[in-house]
Amino acid sequence: MRRLSAHTYLIACLTVLPMSARLYPQEPSATPDISGFWELSFDSRSVPRASLLPTVTRARIDARAKKDAYAVRWCNLLGVPFVMDPGRPLDIRQGTSAIIIVPENSSAPRYLYTNRSAHISEDVFDPSTNGDSIAHWEGDTLVVDTVGFHGDRGITAIPGGGYRTDKSRLVERYRLLKEGSILSVTFTWTDPTVFRTPHSYEFRYQRLPATYEPRQWLSCDPFDQDRAKFLESPPAPSKSASRTVSKE
Amino acid sequence: MRGSLVVLFTAVQMVGAPLYIHAQSPGAPQPHLEGDWVRVDPDGVNSFDGLSAVVPPAQLLPGVSAAAGRGGGRGRRGAPPTDPSAGPNPEGVPYIVVAQPCAGGGPGRSNGALLVNPDSGGVHFIEQKDEVIFAGERGGVRHIYLDGRVHPNPWTPTPAGHSVGHYDGNTLVAETIGFMPGGVPGGGVRSPQTRLVERFVMSPDGGRLTITYTWDDPKIYQKPHEYRYYFERAPKIESKAGKFSYALEEWCDAGDPIEQQPIVPPKQIIK
Repeated sequence: MRRLSAHTYLIACLTVLPMSARLYPQEPSATPDISGFWELSFDSRSVPRASLLPTVTRARIDARAKKDAYAVRWCNLLGVPFVMDPGRPLDIRQGTSAIIIVPENSSAPRYLYTNRSAHISEDVFDPSTNGDSIAHWEGDTLVVDTVGFHGDRGITAIPGGGYRTDKSRLVERYRLLKEGSILSVTFTWTDPTVFRTPHSYEFRYQRLPATYEPRQWLSCDPFDQDRAKFLESPPAPSKSASRTVSKE
Repeated sequence: MRGSLVVLFTAVQMVGAPLYIHAQSPGAPQPHLEGDWVRVDPDGVNSFDGLSAVVPPAQLLPGVSAAAGRGGGRGRRGAPPTDPSAGPNPEGVPYIVVAQPCAGGGPGRSNGALLVNPDSGGVHFIEQKDEVIFAGERGGVRHIYLDGRVHPNPWTPTPAGHSVGHYDGNTLVAETIGFMPGGVPGGGVRSPQTRLVERFVMSPDGGRLTITYTWDDPKIYQKPHEYRYYFERAPKIESKAGKFSYALEEWCDAGDPIEQQPIVPPKQIIK
């Protein structure tokens, strides 16, 4: 009887423990957790100048800048890469199927899917300002691959020069530094219509206290005529400034 | 034999212990809620106003006006609320109208307010041990903190308030206060002092989600105002990547002339 009980107990343990593992999965212990509130500081950006193709003319860059201004003017979703440097902290949370990056503005959050290793097919995925991101861990580095960008929507300007198009691909490498107090993200853009060589730059986000409270978005009213005038009519230089310039 | 069983049992315990301890740790995220969901219409009312109509009426204290609550059950994006008891629209008046739906990056996408009263847009959950993110396809995010923090005091009221939560078994329980004054489905009203408790209850197979809303405020309600919304997992899309659901991005360009046009009921063609 006692032997039967031991057997029963063992069978129960062998049954229950794997079930627990299935019910409550966790990342392998070697996988870092980049969850937290992260903020860029004035010295957080290392951005070299991009090497652009000759076809990326001043006229094209100006046309892109005009579209970016439209996105700001009309409070559109702003998308990647702007969402990674939105002027306020990011809330990053690492779930079991995806990692979400939440900005403190009206841009859509980013979802970095860790539950699949291939992108949604082009014929299915509707291009978006954030694209389709899949992620996996390579040791202590989270590697994120994003395609499926919309070529026109949002702010398309890329730090260092160039702009995103529907042919752009972004690879990001996320790594914790200094005992988790810094999150390094290296961005590498490739685009056969924009860049001569892959364009890489790095941001280093500082971890905010865990007790940080994300703030409300600042208002963005596209029908505020005063705001529209402010954005569309740059101030004329003052007379005194004009005189100073003319003397030089 | 018994000795070997003990050794084997101990080995199993050592292997399994970390996962089991993780499972039992307070505040550990339950994985079931994470993913993509869409609201469903289990009662077959077939319209957004009908969905609002099945919410039981709030029992307000004498002297509390329900007027401020109108529109809390907003189903038509940007459209003025209608009285569900008024019956069908007159001939020629459409049921779905759009009045500057993307007006206001702040109030339009509402800082997560839409997720206090989700409409037909998809919603998404990401669960992490310190926080659950509740995000909407139509914009907005709610932060539900699991890290033991308390509601800040003072707190400036916001459209989605301040939420803290915990797991009660398989159920996420979120408590929210600090709302901006406004309406609540069923003719209810809310103030910054009003407390909302949401229970996110999964079906045993993980395929359905029921959110039970309980609004309580001794200065507004005779008794707590309770109702439920129902959700199903978002459909999985067949793709080369396999079958997956994922968060869609709803594009809404306030600069598009079509989005700016006034509401003019289209002429109905009735044969």
